[in-house]
Amino acid sequence: MLSLTKSMVTSLDYSELALAGRGANLQCLPKLRLALLSDAATQLLVPLLRELFRRGGFALELYEAPFASIELEVLNPGSGLYQFQPDIVVLLNSTQALRVAYFQARQTGSDFASEVEARMVSVWDAIHGNTAALVIQANYVMPYERVFGNYDLKHAGSWYDTVGEINRRIALKARERAHVLVNDIDAVASWLGRRVWFDERFWDLAKSFCATEFLPAVAQNITRISLAARGRNVKCIVLDLDNTLWGGVVGDDGVEGIQISAHGDGEAFHRFQSFLLALKKRGILLCVCSKNEHAAAIRPFEEHPEMVLRKDDITIFVANWENKAENIKRIRESLEIGYDSMAFLDDNPFERDSVRGILPDVIVPELPEDPADYVKALAELNLFETTSVSKEDSARADLYRAEFERRSVASSFSNFDEYLASLDMRLDVARFESSRLSRIAQLLQRSNQFNLTTHRYNEGECEAMMRDGQCIPLYASLRDRFGDHGLISIIVARPRTAQNVLEITDWLMSCRVLARGVEECLMNHIVRQCAARDLEFISGTYIPSAKNAMVKDFFAKFGFERVEETTEGSTHWRLRVADYRELKTYVHPQVTDQAFAAEAL
Amino acid sequence: MANSDLTSRLTVIFRRVFDNETLNVSRGITADDVEGWDSLTHINLIVAIEREFKIHFTTREIAGLQNVGELMDLVSRKAGVSD
Repeated sequence: MLSLTKSMVTSLDYSELALAGRGANLQCLPKLRLALLSDAATQLLVPLLRELFRRGGFALELYEAPFASIELEVLNPGSGLYQFQPDIVVLLNSTQALRVAYFQARQTGSDFASEVEARMVSVWDAIHGNTAALVIQANYVMPYERVFGNYDLKHAGSWYDTVGEINRRIALKARERAHVLVNDIDAVASWLGRRVWFDERFWDLAKSFCATEFLPAVAQNITRISLAARGRNVKCIVLDLDNTLWGGVVGDDGVEGIQISAHGDGEAFHRFQSFLLALKKRGILLCVCSKNEHAAAIRPFEEHPEMVLRKDDITIFVANWENKAENIKRIRESLEIGYDSMAFLDDNPFERDSVRGILPDVIVPELPEDPADYVKALAELNLFETTSVSKEDSARADLYRAEFERRSVASSFSNFDEYLASLDMRLDVARFESSRLSRIAQLLQRSNQFNLTTHRYNEGECEAMMRDGQCIPLYASLRDRFGDHGLISIIVARPRTAQNVLEITDWLMSCRVLARGVEECLMNHIVRQCAARDLEFISGTYIPSAKNAMVKDFFAKFGFERVEETTEGSTHWRLRVADYRELKTYVHPQVTDQAFAAEAL
Repeated sequence: MANSDLTSRLTVIFRRVFDNETLNVSRGITADDVEGWDSLTHINLIVAIEREFKIHFTTREIAGLQNVGELMDLVSRKAGVSD
């Protein structure tokens, strides 16, 4: 399967993409249902979206609303939009259509902005009221006409000022709504140049909202946001050292000889490290993979006073003379993440090509020759798109480091049980709650390996389950003597009282906490709850995906019997509660009273 | 620019834009004769011709074209070479 790798790092030519989108083979790819609503013509965008989603690993099912019918579609519960049952609704508003309305309006600029805002918000809220779909709302590309010149910014209510005002309001209102993400199309247009972005001929003739050569950038922005919402994120950056993180070769030039000073010849590297540190603070893991003597390679991190990145900022540090692809494989195994969530940055084209050849799923962007442009090149690729930020993100790098400490503790215990017992693990189990929905949705999007059914519920759907009395949506957070792992597991179950069964529809867990006894603790708890409520059976399903083979026999481990296997390889399992034997675990559950409460029980 | 050269370059563009390998460009063809030639593919056609011949059409020119012959005349004139 093609990952997002290629679509992210190759240049995008309009006619090539449009042609590729025509004959693309979409069989075998998971489907994604996207509705496109606009006040401009979007037909030219469609083949580009299809192709970019295909490169990102999804077969796009597309609903194109009739031209300029956003409100009609959204406000009518029986519209084609809702019949289509979209996963994502893309709202693409054009500056040109806004311009027509602005110059016809009789209100002041500020009243006009309020009205646009109110209409937009009512569109979002109507969508939210009728479907659990995610909304991706474009902001407006800032216009090129400035009626007062630079004075437009000083003149409240001018056309230029009004568009800026509306964009500001879009951002503020979107912050209040988890189901609305912003497609910052103005950032895309400004990067490419508004002078050539707007092709007024094609607006006049066919209501095309930008020059065709820039349509791929628009399609790519929509694709990136959608893929990020589906859990396709870069989680880890693997870094070369010499001439990538600093200038010069530390093995030859010594710690004093490398260029990293904030002023003078090291400024480019200093800026690059500062950007990487900001990414690390955002939750992206930084690893080092360098052909060097370990002792020499680590010295700048420990001793050089102007290094921005310190030893503690690096999750895994590998410096040896082996093949880099082999080292990246080892880093991946330790982190238990997918290759397609790793990016490799190296100034040496030979190393880049060799890693691309051996590990095609790893994202290996070209780096410009001049280190001064490193940050700019990464910014243009926008590799680090995300759709949510949670407390766990910023603590992640430190948690991973603690995990490696934990593993070295493990080697000093002769007996693994003894080690687990020493960890003093406490598992908080609770029903979904509003304050945790963002992290819950994030884990649902990101967990691939320990995930029995891989249903990608978004935040809106999680909220609906939280409010559904017929549903038992649980999350679990783990603490131990080394620290807090945060929210690491999610289980969704539904009691079917008529059949005397508790049906487990979802069970997933972060691979960070594998082999600790967490799932044993949770299953013991669930079985006890069923016994207390006289439910006779528990049933569950395993749906195979490209990545979840590790939990294929999950139910067998707990003594469930396999009752059915479909031709697609899904298996259904069933356990008689009375036959269950509790599994040994050193995890202590801390359960809140309401955790298991469901009106149905 | 020889006329045959113009025709062959336009033929390459037309076949690509309309995704039809058997399409032949001649002066008498109109949008009605070609499957898929609507206002949006018209944009693709114009953009591809502008790129190929490094010329720029005005809105009026794009909207006023009646058939491929007029398009060929316009391209010849804009590209600065007569037949």
